Amino acid sequence: MPRNIVKWLPAIVVPAVVVAGVIVLPLQAGAASPLPDRSAKQVLLMIASSAGTDFSGTVQSTSDLGLPALSLSSGMSQSMIDSMSASVPKGMEDFVPKGASNSALTTALGLVSGSHTARVFVDSSKVAGDPQKVRIQLEDKLAERNLVSNGTDVWSYDSQTNTATHAAIPADLSTSVKTKLSGINAAVGVDVSNPSELAKELLDRADPSTKVSVGTDRTVAGRSTYSLVLTPKSSNTLVASVTIDVDSQTGLPLEVTVLAKGQKSPAVQVGFSAVEFSTPDANVFTFTPPVGATVVEQKLPQGTTTGEKKTLGSMVADIPTVTGTGWGSIAEFAATSVPKEISDNALLAQIATKVSGGRALSTSLVNVFIATDGRVFVGSVPLAQLQAAAGK
Amino acid sequence: MSSSESARIEVIPDRRTAGWDLLWSELSVLFRRRRTWAMLAAVALIPILLAIAVRLSTSTLAAGEGPPFLSRVTQNGLFVGFTSMVVAIPLFLPLTIGVVAGDTIAGEAGQGTLRYLLVAPAGRVRLLLVKYAGAAAFCLAAALILTVAGLLIGAALFPVGPVTLLSGDVISVPEALLRSLLVAAYVSLSLLGLSAIGLFISTLTDVPVGAMAATVVVSVVAQILDILPQLAWLHPWLFSHYWLGFADLLRQPLDWASFGTNAVVQLCYIVIFGALAYSRFATKNIQS
Repeated sequence: MPRNIVKWLPAIVVPAVVVAGVIVLPLQAGAASPLPDRSAKQVLLMIASSAGTDFSGTVQSTSDLGLPALSLSSGMSQSMIDSMSASVPKGMEDFVPKGASNSALTTALGLVSGSHTARVFVDSSKVAGDPQKVRIQLEDKLAERNLVSNGTDVWSYDSQTNTATHAAIPADLSTSVKTKLSGINAAVGVDVSNPSELAKELLDRADPSTKVSVGTDRTVAGRSTYSLVLTPKSSNTLVASVTIDVDSQTGLPLEVTVLAKGQKSPAVQVGFSAVEFSTPDANVFTFTPPVGATVVEQKLPQGTTTGEKKTLGSMVADIPTVTGTGWGSIAEFAATSVPKEISDNALLAQIATKVSGGRALSTSLVNVFIATDGRVFVGSVPLAQLQAAAGK
Repeated sequence: MSSSESARIEVIPDRRTAGWDLLWSELSVLFRRRRTWAMLAAVALIPILLAIAVRLSTSTLAAGEGPPFLSRVTQNGLFVGFTSMVVAIPLFLPLTIGVVAGDTIAGEAGQGTLRYLLVAPAGRVRLLLVKYAGAAAFCLAAALILTVAGLLIGAALFPVGPVTLLSGDVISVPEALLRSLLVAAYVSLSLLGLSAIGLFISTLTDVPVGAMAATVVVSVVAQILDILPQLAWLHPWLFSHYWLGFADLLRQPLDWASFGTNAVVQLCYIVIFGALAYSRFATKNIQS
């Protein structure tokens, strides 16, 4: 019956149109209108000149580092784990989740794996003497972590634990930053506060190890961008390329993509999914801890006390030894400088694999080799090179 | 129905008002049914039981323990609604939607009343639209009743005051009530995709229980697919993926992003399964 065929048409056409639209629309959003050509140095200068930009936007980060799947014992509190390990029958201890859910390392690993969404608000305050104000909201499922800095105070707030942490920014911070900057200028021999000179210097220094080029224009968060592509010249690194997409009007970097060798999807991609260039509402940067929240006061180290010299001394001892150059560099941490949390962490022991001479944590971008004597080698190089460095 | 019959129906002059009459009668039948009342009462019981349990229990919860927001209920009764929304969304609300949406066409067919409905000068397309509107009205009613019951029992058993949002900012009680209504709107919007699927399944069979069960199964399967990391590419297109996204309405500044994305996804499901339901129903040989 031809009439029935006509009536069946919507069942075929409508789903086809919707599916086609779902596939085609994002592709069109990524296509860019042509921009006037710029050299790599000009794009670098644009980035440098974007320092005073006010903006707010949503940042998406995704990573595919090839890390083994983590059993982060989601949703189980330490007391639940304790009671579970007390009641578990003999021989079934493996079923008790490792109590790693509270460690800072777990939080850090959680942040570098998977995908995250954050809202960012920045008020650069072009008025002289006014400090930069920043608010970052990391949106978790049914929860949120906040960081608010209004120039004089820094607040962080975790909705899951209902805890607010406060730290006062030392009043002399800006002057001490200035003196430090002049120190850096003297040491490097370049005026860091002069963007043009800095851009030239950066390109010169990158030259032996890295090819810096401008790729095809793209569209990020609805804005046309220049792509600055850094490609390592050395072949013994895991990094294939780093792409920085720079907004063609404000010079603000909108997306950073790191590709690893032998992997199609980006190892790390951080970029805006929406951005607006206007000064955010002042209310965004005021934070008062809500009634009922636990408030933790945190002291920042003071600049002039003798205590800092001591920590500086131990910090120098903790500075890793770097061998190799450019992208193939390997950092070696002495066994004494490795924090205890990393050296005997149950979770790390779980995801690190046994290799000759120690244990290794392999990702598509970075390899970590923990020698049996406790030294830790980190580098964006094949694992064999880390083992060779440890054997020297 | 043969083509000559449908042609005769089309020339009847009061076709324009027939749709509205049908909608009115559908809504009054739906909301006068004892089954509908029982389901809405069960929905209202969720916040009531939750609030009473929290009130009677002596142990204080550590922040972050239990379902989200539960530890805040004792300090602020307005959180009862949010907590019960989180509890009801994965299974209970889809269950009630499955019953209502699965019953739409199959229920009439099973009772043998479908052909009488089609004799009325409305036509099959209008009947489908009216049935879907009824299911959508139930989504809204269920979400609103859950919210209102939560607000009332929360105000009755716990202190009520300014609400701390996920971002740590504090809003006044009237603004918190407004956000509660927005959450109810978000949740009823979230269920529209599933309602369309239920409507389509309902056109496939004359056994209403089968259509109801199949709709509930679809919602459970979608949520299982949503937690499989191997199917990450599919997740943004699952109708259940944004169900808990109403949390974005509890951030400061208010984040409309997931509201918009959710609306687009639900619209895709409504259009696709609406078209499938039309084609199936328009060509169906109706004997009962």
